[in-house]
Amino acid sequence: MKMFAFLFGCMLASGAFAADTCYQDVSMDCGQASNSLALPRCNAVFGNYGRHGNVATEMQAYANLHLERSYEYLLSASYYNNYQTNRAGFSKLFRKLSDEAWEKSIELIKHITKRGDTMDFARRSTQEEKTDKNYTVELHELESLAKALDTQKELAERAFYIHREATRNSPHTHDPEIAQYLEEEFVEKQADTIRNLAGHTADLKKFILANNGQDLSLALYLFDEYLQKVV
Amino acid sequence: MKAVLFAVAALLAVCIPISAKQCNVNPVNIPKGWITMQQSCRGSMRRQIQTEVGASLQYLAMGAHFSRDGINRPGFAKLFFDAASEEREHAMKLIDYLLMRGELETDVTSLIQIRAPERKSWESGVDALEHALKMETEVTKSIRSVIIACESDPKFNDYHLVDYLTGEFLEEQYKGQRDLAGKASTLKKMLDRHSSLGEFLFDKKLLGMDI
Ligand SMILES: [Fe+2]
Ligand SMILES: [Fe+2]
Repeated sequence: MKMFAFLFGCMLASGAFAADTCYQDVSMDCGQASNSLALPRCNAVFGNYGRHGNVATEMQAYANLHLERSYEYLLSASYYNNYQTNRAGFSKLFRKLSDEAWEKSIELIKHITKRGDTMDFARRSTQEEKTDKNYTVELHELESLAKALDTQKELAERAFYIHREATRNSPHTHDPEIAQYLEEEFVEKQADTIRNLAGHTADLKKFILANNGQDLSLALYLFDEYLQKVV
Repeated sequence: MKAVLFAVAALLAVCIPISAKQCNVNPVNIPKGWITMQQSCRGSMRRQIQTEVGASLQYLAMGAHFSRDGINRPGFAKLFFDAASEEREHAMKLIDYLLMRGELETDVTSLIQIRAPERKSWESGVDALEHALKMETEVTKSIRSVIIACESDPKFNDYHLVDYLTGEFLEEQYKGQRDLAGKASTLKKMLDRHSSLGEFLFDKKLLGMDI
């Protein structure tokens, strides 16, 4: 019976209700003869963040994905500002995507540390497709919008994946804080961006097909002027 | 029968070519005499852009370190996250300069590579400030080497770029270095007898908090 009570006590201490553990560290160490005060359990980790499942590592990879996309979009914005392409609207569109991705990577890093974890800049997602060696930002207008649409969908679907991992019906991985963070700060905005990009490709498609392609050069010019206004 | 059909189809394909859809406008020919930047100058500018990007990533790692729960120095974290964004802006300014001079028509994709920053943790706030100061000193050196490459080309002394780098970039480097050195020295003096309290107070000062 005593043994049972002891086991039960241990389960309480190490289980989901991790109350008092920092306090226990403090009361164990303060007043001890030694000079150290390690307090290993006085940290920001709660729930099972970083202990079970892959939510914590996927959050690191998500920050890295934003970082990479941010600089890729910056290169696209640059390409559309050279004297040959000279599309200020397309450049502005990519510059905005770059700025947003950059800000999000910093926010993600802050959020990772908010949850008591460290940032790992080398972390990759298990969901990552093989890196495209032929990747280029030197694309024509419709191609570049297609790439933007695909990569924005990738960001949104990665958020879905992490959300799914965080809301699996398991006491070890359930993390409502991460789920609501993704909902509030990511997926809503991503849906807007994706819809806008899809709309742009629909417009360009019509210009390309109309009038046997005769409209295209003027249409691209006007569309770029339009983008300068709306982005 | 299949073979006949195939032959007919092939014949049709040759006789009635369906014009390929063109989704883009062909590039045009513009006089190129105004594009005067030389190879070695261009190359060192490109390397400088990568250097700025590398610095932005290293500063991000510093921001991440000082945001940790066990480190808890939000003032330092803010200083370094802001520095990361500034380095990104430096890269953008250099890119914009190249674009103004008719560059980056090609070879845009290879301009920037993202690599995980080398260093991940720092002993203390002073340690990070001193590391930042050393980094900036290296960047200053590399900007000077871009200037040398761009003014000493036998075919073309690139006065304007040299002026831009000297007036805008070196100016910012020297001011930034002075700022970091001043911060490191103030903090070091505060640490002299009150190490943990000194860093705590200095961190709040960096946050703009009056305590
Ligand atoms: Fe810089
Ligand atoms: Fe700098």
